[in-house]
Amino acid sequence: MSLKLTTSAASLALLAVLAAGCGTAAATHHAAPNPAAPAHHHAGQMHAANPIPQGNAGDQDADNNGGPSDGDGNI
Amino acid sequence: MTFPTGRRARLILTAIAATAAIAAITVTAVTVSAGTVRAAASAPPGGSAGQTLRQLRPTAAPAGWRHLTLPNGTAVLSYPPGLRPLAGDRDAVSAARLSPGGAFQLYLNATPQQGGERLAHWAVFRLHLLRSDDAASARLVAAAQGIKFRGGTGSCVMDRYVTRIGGHHFQEIACLVQGHTAASVVVAAAPAAHWATAQPLLLRAVAAYLVR
Repeated sequence: MSLKLTTSAASLALLAVLAAGCGTAAATHHAAPNPAAPAHHHAGQMHAANPIPQGNAGDQDADNNGGPSDGDGNI
Repeated sequence: MTFPTGRRARLILTAIAATAAIAAITVTAVTVSAGTVRAAASAPPGGSAGQTLRQLRPTAAPAGWRHLTLPNGTAVLSYPPGLRPLAGDRDAVSAARLSPGGAFQLYLNATPQQGGERLAHWAVFRLHLLRSDDAASARLVAAAQGIKFRGGTGSCVMDRYVTRIGGHHFQEIACLVQGHTAASVVVAAAPAAHWATAQPLLLRAVAAYLVR
């Protein structure tokens, strides 16, 4: 009986270590800065999440050609 | 199967359990501590940039500045000498100063509210829009709400972003301004490397923005 109790305690403690390790990984994931996207893209390159194509293929704004972003609502 | 049941085996297992428990407590403590530091580091920035936004006061444009009225008549963008009107969206107005090589040095834009922009979450909206539209990355510098404008009230965000095309680094002040009849967005931007020198003039242009 004593052996079983001791073994169970050891198992719980090891599970606690594993859980703490996972918690560390999760916290690190949240805190890590977003990975820097490549700074240079070729003109005409399109992005799936971008409803206005870049590289003069969209609405001809300066911001579709590497210029500053205007104030449109992206519609 | 037979298990050891002697005193030595119990001592060994007890030692393992104790070591594991101590390790778990230590890892958890370090994790909490590190999380606290990271949370402090990633707290919404403000500082002097936030103070700059909060100190915006509606002020008429200086003599000699020119004006561009939105096609729908709901706002007037003032721009200083040295900038010139720039073609863009039909419902918007822009003015810019370009280098001899065509690079943007100063940029002003006014656009009617078009989508889900709201004063309460303007900063989040703007950063999301930048990242989903023409910026490879964008980060918040400061944000403020309840800023008085000529004819209305606005929410402003100061941020930095890198364009997808060309990898150009810009810093901007972008404000959603609610007037009596309509809302619009005013943007004032410059290369991030030259923001310190550009900021006073751009702030002046934002302060002169008139909404109806």
